[in-house]
Amino acid sequence: MASPSASPALAASPAPALRIGQPVRLRAARYLTHWAPVVRSVAARSAPTVTAPTVARLTTQTPEQTANLVLALGRTTDAKGRVWTRVRLPVLPNNTIGWVPRAALGGLSAVRTRLVVDLERLTATLYRGGRRVFRAPVGVGRSQWPTPRGEFYIRNRLSSYRSPFYGPIAFGTSARSAVLTDWPAGGFVGIHGTNRPELLPGRVSHGCIRMRNPDILRLARQLPIGTPLTIR
Amino acid sequence: MIPQLPAGVDVTLDQLDRDGALREAGSRLPRGRFLGLAAGAAVAFGGLASPARGVTKGDVAILNYALSLEYLQSAFYTETERVAAVKGQAARAARVVGAVERAHVIAFRNLLGRKAIKRPLFDFRGTTEDQQAFLKTAVAFEDLAVAAYKGQAHLIESDAVLAAAVSIHSVEARHAAWVRHLFGIRPAANAFDEGKPRAEIERIVQSTSFVVARSRTRGRGGPRFTG
Amino acid sequence: MPAATRRHIHLLKLRLLDDDAALRAARTEPCLTRTRLLQHAVVGGGAVIAGGVLLGGLPPVAVAARSPEQDVRILNLTLLLEELEAAFYADAEDRGALRGELAEFARIVGDHERAHVAFLRKALGDRAEPRPTFDFGNTTSDPNRFAVTSAMLEDTGIAAYNGQAVNLTKPVLKAAATIVSVEARHAAWIRDIVGQPAAPDATDKPATERQVRARVARTGFVKGSG
Repeated sequence: MASPSASPALAASPAPALRIGQPVRLRAARYLTHWAPVVRSVAARSAPTVTAPTVARLTTQTPEQTANLVLALGRTTDAKGRVWTRVRLPVLPNNTIGWVPRAALGGLSAVRTRLVVDLERLTATLYRGGRRVFRAPVGVGRSQWPTPRGEFYIRNRLSSYRSPFYGPIAFGTSARSAVLTDWPAGGFVGIHGTNRPELLPGRVSHGCIRMRNPDILRLARQLPIGTPLTIR
Repeated sequence: MIPQLPAGVDVTLDQLDRDGALREAGSRLPRGRFLGLAAGAAVAFGGLASPARGVTKGDVAILNYALSLEYLQSAFYTETERVAAVKGQAARAARVVGAVERAHVIAFRNLLGRKAIKRPLFDFRGTTEDQQAFLKTAVAFEDLAVAAYKGQAHLIESDAVLAAAVSIHSVEARHAAWVRHLFGIRPAANAFDEGKPRAEIERIVQSTSFVVARSRTRGRGGPRFTG
Repeated sequence: MPAATRRHIHLLKLRLLDDDAALRAARTEPCLTRTRLLQHAVVGGGAVIAGGVLLGGLPPVAVAARSPEQDVRILNLTLLLEELEAAFYADAEDRGALRGELAEFARIVGDHERAHVAFLRKALGDRAEPRPTFDFGNTTSDPNRFAVTSAMLEDTGIAAYNGQAVNLTKPVLKAAATIVSVEARHAAWIRDIVGQPAAPDATDKPATERQVRARVARTGFVKGSG
């Protein structure tokens, strides 16, 4: 064999410009929730088939003119190879779940947060990855206009409006008052600030969840859209 | 006796598109938005001190183009793993390949620093949520990545960037073979793999409508919640 | 594939790459004469090396600088690997010991390697090194040894092409890139057949010419120039 030293050796490859480290494994999928926008008006059905009864109709927009969202709780593929998504719905009765064709939804987003509102202790607690990151006292619905209990989600965020009553920021949720069904824009429960902080904590609202303005501002920095909301 | 793998079968994103499964919602993003971002970002930060010192303008554009494809792939496998609808060997491939694509993304972002393009938003249209759709799409993505890296190799100016690119290129080819095998088609269809120019790759990616605009979740109107 | 077989393959891999390889390295190294390369100043049959510059002789110090002359040297290095692979798969087919998908793998991959050889020979023209003679021992007649050896040969090919990417002129790099990814496909395919992780690493490390020649020598497969 001719020795490579008989002529200058071929240059070794230079150090690569990219420092590519070890493969990056995902953290455990615990505490993850996926949500998706509704991109096509669609009937949500009681089972993943076009012949199942309709449980609700979904539009692409909320009454606040933001994208309508649903939580994606599960999925299945039907005999024709179509994917169906099991979704939590922003409709009455509260806690309704249905199936929509995956094609009616947009891209999935994931959140690791969960907001819990305790109607007995009058607190709102935010968890991220299972760890508590926020807690504040809240005002909730009076006995004649109770804040509904159940599993919901955060679906939009309003700001820059002129209404001291709602404070600086208002989050829309998928929860609806079961009694104020003729409230303008559907009677959805919001989570917002207040111009009456002295009333908190207390049972003081029409069903909304009120927070002191500094608290809602602090929450707003940590609360992504699509976060699941438990009211108990 | 293992059944013979079909010879010379190619699954392309174009083909997926023709199946109609992916296009139901139509294109929701103006053309040029996805990869066009690369050039925009590079220009916008062109005057700033860059961690990518010594990398030419041309190489920055190529690196950002590669990063856009790595974003696409890593998001695809990450979502597949998190949704957890894909099972068995395919799930294992999603886990292993996804971990590698995420390492690639991190390396590109570290090198490009502020010149790195932003991560777009994706809608994989159910392909991360169904066994067969996942495999088919993974095959298309990996073959596409191989063709894309190959199409750039001779255009790269810096030896250090070239050394990095070729070391990724062959890994993408390993992935392509792996997912093709899982899908039940021949892992190496031809004796030679042809590259594809950037314009063609971008056209194919855009035809999938996998890259979407962020949905509007913030409003400015007055709330009408129950108060 | 039963777990026991997989373990066996794993053990075999370690042995092949370490103990056996070390023993074999002590044997006579294959004769890879570059005499012909030095005798010719012009690249023949320039299908790949389009626009190659006519050189009056070798560049004084050919390190790093790209040149058609250096291309010849690199392509002869990869030609050796392709010849080795082509002969390996042909031998495996001839012996007929492989069954099922392994047999299909040997046939298809063998076709690819022969196509690579033909391509490189055409590109090199009369600058191509002669085909060496090979002896693959029992690696082509035993399915487990075949699989391990195949993965090792394909990995060597990938590392060789990747290691020379920066040394090739751009037109030749473009052509070489169409081959290396096929080698990578082979490497993943054979691993998945035998149940090994098909693509465990985030990058493929390059090898220098010296490292590649050392790896080839350690196989003991090359018996002499043809």
